[in-house]
This record gives sequence, C-alpha cells and structure tokens, in this order.
Amino acid sequence: MAAAAIPTQARSKQLRACLLCSIIQLPVDFRKNGCPNCEEIMQMKMNSDRIASCTTTYFDGVVAVVDPENSWVARWQRTSKYVRGMYAVRVKGRIPEDVELELENRGIKYRPRDQTDQE
Amino acid sequence: MSDADDHHMFESDPVAQDEEMEQVEAGNNEMNTKEPARDEEGEEEEEEEEEEEDDDDEEDDEEEELAGKKGKKRAKHRHKRSIASRFVDLEAEVSDEEEEEEEDEDYGADGFIETVDDVDDDGGRRHYALIDKKRQLEEGEDKSPEQIAKDLSERYRRPAVRYTGDMNEIPQRLLMPSVHDASLWQVRVRPGRERDIVFSLMRKSIDVEYTARPVSILAAFQRDSLPGMIYVEARSAKQVSEACNGLVGVFPSRGITLVPIEEMASLLQIKKQDLTVNAGSWVRIRRGKYAGDLAQVVDMTENGEDVGLKFVPRIDLTPRDDAAIDAAGKKRKKPVAGAGAMRPPQRLFNYEEVVKVWGRKQVSKRNQVYVFQNDTYKDGFIEKDFKLSGLILEDVNPTLDEITQFTRRQDGADYDHVVDLSIIAEASRKAAISVLQPGDHVEVFEGEQAGVHGVVDEIHQDVVIITAVGVDIEGQKVELPARSVRKRFKPGDHVKVMTGQNADETGLVVSVADNVVTFLSDMSMQEVSVFSKDLREAAEVGSGTNIVGNYELHDLVQLDAQTVGVIFKTERDSFRVLDQNGQVRLVQPHQISMRRDSIRAIATDSEGHELRINDNVKEVDSEGRKGQVLHIHQSFFAFLHNREITENGGVFVTRARSLASLAPKGSNLIRAGMDLSKMNPTIGAPMGGMVGSGAMGRGPRDRDIGLTVCVVKGPHKGYVGTIKDVNGSVARVELRTGNKVVSLEKEKLRERMPNGSLVLLTGRGSSASRGGGGGGGGYGGGHMGPPRTTNPYASSGGVAPTPAWGSGRTPNPHAGDGRTPAWNASSRTPNPYALEGGKTPAWNASSRTPNPYAGDGGRTPAWNASARTPNPYASGGGSSGSGSTWGGATPGRNVSAAPASSGWGGATPKRNAGWGSNADGWGTSTQSNSWGDAWGTGAPTPAAAATPAFGAPTPAPMSAPTPAASGGFSAPTPAAYKNDISAPTPKASMEYDDAHDAANGQKSSKTKDLWIFSPACANYQDRMKVIVHGTRIVDYLNGDYEGRRGRIIGATRVADSFEQTAMVRFDSGETRSISVQFLEPVLPTEMGEEALVFAASEKEKTGRVVILRDRLDVDELGSVAVPVSTKEAASAIFEVQKDSLVALYPET
Repeated sequence: MAAAAIPTQARSKQLRACLLCSIIQLPVDFRKNGCPNCEEIMQMKMNSDRIASCTTTYFDGVVAVVDPENSWVARWQRTSKYVRGMYAVRVKGRIPEDVELELENRGIKYRPRDQTDQE
Repeated sequence: MSDADDHHMFESDPVAQDEEMEQVEAGNNEMNTKEPARDEEGEEEEEEEEEEEDDDDEEDDEEEELAGKKGKKRAKHRHKRSIASRFVDLEAEVSDEEEEEEEDEDYGADGFIETVDDVDDDGGRRHYALIDKKRQLEEGEDKSPEQIAKDLSERYRRPAVRYTGDMNEIPQRLLMPSVHDASLWQVRVRPGRERDIVFSLMRKSIDVEYTARPVSILAAFQRDSLPGMIYVEARSAKQVSEACNGLVGVFPSRGITLVPIEEMASLLQIKKQDLTVNAGSWVRIRRGKYAGDLAQVVDMTENGEDVGLKFVPRIDLTPRDDAAIDAAGKKRKKPVAGAGAMRPPQRLFNYEEVVKVWGRKQVSKRNQVYVFQNDTYKDGFIEKDFKLSGLILEDVNPTLDEITQFTRRQDGADYDHVVDLSIIAEASRKAAISVLQPGDHVEVFEGEQAGVHGVVDEIHQDVVIITAVGVDIEGQKVELPARSVRKRFKPGDHVKVMTGQNADETGLVVSVADNVVTFLSDMSMQEVSVFSKDLREAAEVGSGTNIVGNYELHDLVQLDAQTVGVIFKTERDSFRVLDQNGQVRLVQPHQISMRRDSIRAIATDSEGHELRINDNVKEVDSEGRKGQVLHIHQSFFAFLHNREITENGGVFVTRARSLASLAPKGSNLIRAGMDLSKMNPTIGAPMGGMVGSGAMGRGPRDRDIGLTVCVVKGPHKGYVGTIKDVNGSVARVELRTGNKVVSLEKEKLRERMPNGSLVLLTGRGSSASRGGGGGGGGYGGGHMGPPRTTNPYASSGGVAPTPAWGSGRTPNPHAGDGRTPAWNASSRTPNPYALEGGKTPAWNASSRTPNPYAGDGGRTPAWNASARTPNPYASGGGSSGSGSTWGGATPGRNVSAAPASSGWGGATPKRNAGWGSNADGWGTSTQSNSWGDAWGTGAPTPAAAATPAFGAPTPAPMSAPTPAASGGFSAPTPAAYKNDISAPTPKASMEYDDAHDAANGQKSSKTKDLWIFSPACANYQDRMKVIVHGTRIVDYLNGDYEGRRGRIIGATRVADSFEQTAMVRFDSGETRSISVQFLEPVLPTEMGEEALVFAASEKEKTGRVVILRDRLDVDELGSVAVPVSTKEAASAIFEVQKDSLVALYPET
C-alpha cells in the first residue's frame, strides 16, 4: 500500500494541502515527489509555482488515513483510492482553471474541498 | 512481499528523499529503524520527547525565517538530528526491549545489529542508507528477476497513475456511514495538541504496521473547531486505546466515547463561518497597530491566504526622538506596545506632512504610489497584505462614518457620488433578514417580483410570505426569499431606529433612496440616514432620554482628579464627554466620580467682567465662537454651548480669559482695585463682617506678576527671577537659575531695575512720592505682616493733629507722621482695618496716594472729610487751598478711586448696620471700603457716608463755596445718623443724579446724609444751621468739633467715590471742612424762628422758608408735626414734620 510522506512537523505553518485530493505534505515533499495522488494532472513536481497555486496552507482539520480502503472517513472524504497519509478535512480554494478544464475534458466532476457544495 | 516492497519504496523518510533512488529504496530500512526510534522517543522517553519538541519549535521558528538563513540552519540542524538519532537508535533499541515480548524479534534484532554496526559511524543517514541498500541487495538476491522488474516498473509507473477521480461521481449521501463501517470514537486530548496526536497516530500506525502488534485503527482526525478532542475510526474501543497508548497528551482515562452513527458525518461537515472574502468586501484587522480598523479588500492571492487590504493609515507624525535613532540604525528599541502607547490617529497619507516629519529620504515614490517604511500608500490609503487569519471577517459591521472615510480622496474632496452604501448594504443584507417581523411593510427589490410590496405574513427561515399590496396582485400571497425583500418606508412615516449608533432616535421619514432612509430626528432636528433594516415604524416620539443614571446632558462631571468634562451627548448607556482639555471621551456612568456644580462659579472675562454661567459670551480670539456659558471650571475654563455648532453637540471649551460678554453688565465689573489679599483668609479674618461681603473672587492679575525680582533674604538670596504668581504675601518666583519656581515671601523680594538697582515691590515707579508718604515699612513692603496689630494709620487717626488737616500748614503731614515713632507708640487699638489701609496701596494706590491715605487711614472720618472736599477730587487737580493740603497725592487718589464710583451703591444699605452698631466696626469697614475693593459687594461702607452727595444738586448751583473758607461751623446737625436711615441705594441715586435732577428733592429726603446737597437747600445753604454730631464715636478729628454749630459756607456734591464734605464756618469763627455725614440740621426751637423745609417728604413745601409758629420741643422723639407758616402769609399755618426742618441763621 502506498503512503504519502508524513510531515514530521505537525504544527508547521508550512504544511500544505493539495487542492484536489486534500493530502497534506510539506512543500519540500510536494516539490520532490509531487502529489502522491494527483501528480499526473497537477504537475507539481519540481515546480514551486505550481505548488503554490495547487496547494494551500489554508485548511481545516487533519485526518490520518491509516487504512484508506476500509475507512469510512476516507470514503466520506473521497480519499479511499488514494495513498495513505495525512489529509485535510476541508481545504479552502479551488484548483487552477487549467486543471479544472482538464478534469472537465476527462469527464471528471470536480468537487472542491471546501465543503461548499455538499448535497 | 510486494506489499512490503511497496511500502518500503514509497513510505520513505522525507529527509532521505534527496538521495538516489536506491537510497530511497534503502530508506525503508531506515524507516524501520529510525522511525520507530522516533516514535519510541515520543512515547516513552520524556526527556527525549522534550528535546524533540524543542527541536520542533526551533524548526518551526526557523521555517519562518528567511530562506538563505534557513538553508544554513537546516543543515546544521540535520546534522544535530542525525547525531541525536544515532543515540536515539540505541535508546530505541532499549525501548524495543521493553516491548520485546510484543514486538517482532526480527525487527528488534535487525535494528540492533544495524545500529551496532553504525555506532562509530559519523556519516549518519547516508551510511544507514548505504548499509540498508547493501542489505536490500542481499535480500534482493532472493527475489526473482521478474519480481525485481515488477517492483521497478511499479515504482516508475506510479507517478503516471492516471487521476481518475472515480469517487467524485458518488453523491455524498451515498457515502453516509452504515452499520458495517467501523465506528468513530471520541478521545480526549490535551487542547492544542490535537494535530500532533493525529500525526503521531499516523506515524505510529505506519511504524508498527509490521510488528506483532500493529495498530488497527483505520483513520483518525481532528477538527480545529473541536478543541481538546480527536476522533479515531476503529472497530472497537480497545483498538483505540491501544493506538493511543503511550502517546503524550492523550487522556484515554477520560473516556473513549462512541460517536453515534448519525453524528459521524456531521463531524466532518463542520464548517466554519463562511470565510470567503472578495475584493471590495470589508474586514477588520485583528492585531497590531491597526487592530479593529476597517479595511477594504483590494485583492487576494489565488489560494486565499493573503489578502491585499486598503485602509486608512496611522502614521505617527510625532515620532519620539529615539525613533530617529532607530532610523539611524542605532540601538533599536522595541516601541512600547500595549495600552499605554499612543496609537497615532487615522489619517490619510499626506506626502508633505510625512516628509516634513520623517524626512524626504524616508519616502520614495514609485509610479503612483508612495513607499514609506516598507508600506505602500496609494491615494492616501495604505495598501498592505495581510494573512487571512489576521483578519476579522465576521461581524465587521462597518459604520457609515468609516465607509465615508474610504470614499474620500486624499485632497479631502468626496467622490462624485456620495457614499456607495450598497457595499455595506450587501454586507448587512444577511442581517436584514433576521430583523424582518410579521406585519412589516416590505418591498421586493430584486428578482421577478421586484417592485411588489406588501405586508409580511409569515417568515420561514429564509422565506417570507407576504400579502401583496398593489393594483394587479392585490391581496395575493407571495412567497419570496427573505434576502430579496427589504423594509419599506415612505416619506411621512414616523420611525424609530432599532439598532446602531442612532438607536432609539425617532423621526419623520423625509426621503427614501433604495434601502437608505433619511429621517428628521425628533430630538436633534437633524437629518439622519440609516438603513431601512434598522428602522421600525413607531408611534412613540423622541424617546431618547438625555438622562443616563444620575447624569444629564450638559452636566459638569468629574472624571478623575485632574479632569472634568461636560456631557454633550448621551448614548444608550454611556456619555460623550468633552473634557477641559478639549478632548472627547466616551465615558460609562461608573467612570464618573461625581457631578460638579458650577452654579456659583465665577470667572473673569477678557475685559475683567465677571463671568457666570448662562452668560452669553463670545470668544475674543481664535474662532470668535459665541455661546452660552454652561459651566465654569476653576475660574479658568469655560464650557460653552451653541446650538449652531454641530461639533460635539455644540459644546466647546475655552478659556474664560478669552471671552467677552455679549451684554456687559456694568454692575458686575470686577474692580480694577480688587485686592487679591482679600482672598487670603489670614488677612481676611480680622476684617470681621467684611469677609462675607462677597469680595471673595478672583482678583485681576497682580501688579507684581511678571516683574523681574531679586531675592534679598533667605536661602535664595541673590537669585534673580520672575514673579509668576502672587498669593497674598507670597510670590511664586521662577528663578533664572535652575529653571525652578519657588515660593517666597514678597518682603524678601526687590524689584530689579534694568540698571541693577533694587526697589521695593510696592514702591515701584514712584519712590519719591512714597518717600513722602512716609513709613515705607508700614506702608509698602512691610505692611503685610507684623503691622497688622499696631497700625500706624490707625493710631495716626487718633493722634493726628487736626491742624495738620484743616490748616494745611503742614504740606505733608503724613510724611512727618510716618516717621514719628509716636504714631506707633500711641497706637491704642490694634485696628484691623488699618491693616487693610496699609495694604491697599499696594494694590490700588500704592505710591500714588500715600498721603491722603496715610493721613486718613486710621481716622476714617478725617479721611472722609477730606475726601469730601470737592475740589481736589472733582477737579482732579487740586485747584483750591484744600487741595494743596493734600499735595501731590490727591490726583493719584482721585484716579484710583474714580472707577469705584458705581460701586457706592450696593454698599449703602449695609452701612447703617455697621455704623450704628459700633464705631470700630464702622471704622473698619470704612477703611477697606473707601478703597473701593469691595464697592460693588455690599460691604458696609463709609462710602455711604458720602451718599448725601447724591442728593446734592448738580455742581453748577453749588459752585459758590470755596474750600478754603471755613469758619463758623458750629451748627449742630441733627439726627441723620441716629435715625434708622433708609437710604436709597446709591445706584438709584446715581441714576437720579445723572438723569433726573428734577426729582432731586424727593430723593434726597430719603438720603438724609445728603440733605445738605438737596436742591431745596441750595439757596439757603449759607444760612443753614448745622451741628457736628457723631464724630466722637469714630474719633473724627479727635471729636474736637463735636457739638459745634455753624453755617455751611460751601458744599458741592463731588463724585460718589469721594467723601462728601462741606465747608462750615463755626460759630467760633473757624472755618473747617467737615464730612457731611457728621453734619446734622439744627432744629428750629423758638417760635418765630426761620427754618427751611428741606425734606422732600413735604412735597410742595420743600425748599420754602417758614417761620415756626410754635415752640418746638427738641427732645421729643419721633416725627412731630410742627405748625409753621411762610413769612409772606403768616396766617396760613400749616404743619410739617420737624425732621424736615433746618433752622436758618438770620439773613445777613
């Protein structure tokens, strides 16, 4: 089972959450490995600007997803298919427009992580 | 195995990831060793834990630092950590042993062996990696090539995993938890450590995953809005407690509570208040210099972390000196923060102002913006980025005032449109919904139904049902979103403000523009604009009370020991107070220590007039504002009120000294001759009845203030200074040396003339005449102290030889007197008034009138008598012989006394009391009064003695007598003093004197003192028999003339302030000037004697010469009617009151 880099500093103000999958990592990890879940579409690896626009420090609530497949929390957060690691409950902001466009092209519904459109 | 590999591959230690791929691979071992170690460290080794925490903090801190610095530090840090981890590994090994029975043997052994290998290895992490790699390769040998290939492909394929977002299509409701899902458990933790614990749980679960006792929780989470607890997803509480076991800051003992299944989702749905901000919205700044200030969002970064704000800057335009040092890069002090520090006021950036204060270098200009102290200023506003967390987004409630500031340009001009209230309106729209009530009249302002209006029937959360009013859909019920309706008012409605700063105001709506309603306040009669949401229709009128607690509008209240203020606005439970320094304070009733009463307070205005509350006054300087005096504070500050001034409710504060009365009141004149010493209680005490006379007021500026003086005695001897203030005999002297103000006895001071000579303070400017005045000690400098008891003047009255007066033989009798020890020696009575006499010159006359004063001082009568002499005073030049007696002194005296004239009046009524009751008292009062300091105050006064003068005819008819001619003055004068004289107030007499000569007779009858001057007597003055009476009591001229009779050869009314005197030729042939108050008419006694009816009470008979037709019993008391007839018509006998008759000498 894959796992994301677990940030060593829980209280770090640098922690950033991915706007798409809500995983929390240190910027340095995003830079080195990109997003463990959505790197393919976010293209953050080695791209600081991209990291800045695709992740945010503005999130609320931290989930430690130990067993994504079986956890209801992960399912509720729609992170069951993602690697295990730290996720944010709520992430403020929207992904950049190009990513949103790309998702649209692929027919994927974009669900912002800010809990604004929960039905 | 692939699982394990996977794990090893991607579960890499973050720090190791900069290594080669192989190293990453190797990292898994490191994971196995180091990570557990760290965990153990957290769980069991308290010390280590703390150290780790310190490290954490350090790292936290350092992360905030600049990047360059960070790199360096980080390297150092990592080094430290690696060294530490070496030991940690060892310890971890020990820890492992503790758990040995539970832990996987292999794992422990592996770790142990590894670390032993590496104990002496300084290389740290890299070596671990290498060793791990070596071992991995060894292990890898067991793997089939396929396996390796698969691993590799998996490894490299992974980043390419296509993002499918396959879960995104599932509606959230299908994700609701079911009974098959694991439960959620609430665990209490130490507040503030929630996030750490969630992270620890994650690390722990990974670390122990492949041990014998893996943590079997599925997830754990924490919410910022739920402090002190975390939620763990697990199948059982036991698993939760196992997972939490050993973690610091978790309190399983406080219960691991199952979260009901229906509440699970909501825990993750907790949403903070909507935190979105948009450009243009209003926020408040949470901390720092601008805390609480309103700001407008200009822009924000894409992820919404930083917000560009525009707001009114607070630039310190009065930087302290050390700030300049800061700028120079010297010792940098942290500015004193906190409540004590003054926060500069909000003010738009003004380039000129800032440059003036801070210097041109501090401000640079780029394009259209100024940069000052690293902040940019545009259009006067500061534009600055803030973190979203440093802003208050909720309940911003911008006020109209604040918004107006933003719409103002730097040059102070408003934008074309007034205020874009829609901005606030938008912000407050949400609030508007909540204020709707059934029955409200509303209109729809947006949506399909826009324009419809009606009455609210029902409200269901965000939906209102209204009954429409209007032509086409009259009566229909319409369902509408609450946010698209607003309260509707029409001009003429009577409304009441429910909330906001205008709360409780009521008024009539004058105009409605969208959602802004303007109404005319019932209270202030001013137009007030408010949002319609804040209004209700109300029938009540002008509630808004002006009373809060015990305090009322326009009360003078004591705020603290130094501060008083006037309430100029009452708010719901507080006041706006303008203090004496002109500052406006918001004060709660409990902050007021007391209400002050200034109803009796007096101040002096710029013209020396008395200033009382309710006077209408005007500023003579500055803005020339007019107003009514509300209060006077310390006779210095005057609080005025003027309805026409809008600022501070029309209340303003100014100095009393800069005010002038709009309607001067003559009678309120504070005499120029006001004696400050009157205010000194120690001096005032001996004055007896005088004290209560109301002379207690603030005198005019002391003459000595501002003088350059030299100290001649005491510790400060030789110092030179300036008199700043005088209080009685004590002067506050600001020394030239040491910038000190000291209190010194005046007698220790001498005025220092420009040529360096020293002059007694009181003798300034006329030392020559003072010398003549004699007794400088008694008269001038020394008079304040010791002479109080033995008074040269008093005694002089007793001993002064009459001739000195009457004859004018001695040109300057006082000079002589002053020098003669006999004066003092013979002082029989410690005469308090004399003290006054001594002092007075210091004030009024000082050197100007030494002579008359000295001569008269003790002997009031004499003094009065002389004063009565018309010439010296009236003419002001000493035109006659008697004038020469006075010498040079006279004019001076004249000057000083002249202004007092109007004051005669008030004093009169009291005179009788003082006079009649005892001579001393009379004398006392005389002295002080004659100098005019209490003229207007109603003190008993000999001035009254002069009252007869009022009744005197105008000088013209009186011009005949010459002062020098004094001769047979023996005519006794009756009664005037024994009787209870109901003298009219001199004021009245004065008027009469000035304006109503015709009425003289009538008036003068009331003022018997002045009978001599009555027009009735004018033609017969030289025949009237008068008798000197009452001199013994007051020792007037030693009483030598008591009982002597004579005829008046000259009497002219002189100015009121002077003693009214008459020249009397006594029967003995001597001619002498006698104060009229001692002259009484001699009653005719013998039948056939001629008499003059002088009293005005006899009406038409007044002024007629009659012949007594009966013998008159002089001793008969009371008024007795006497039968008389005129010479011409001897048979026509009529009666007059005997008191109205004066005997006449036979015509010569």
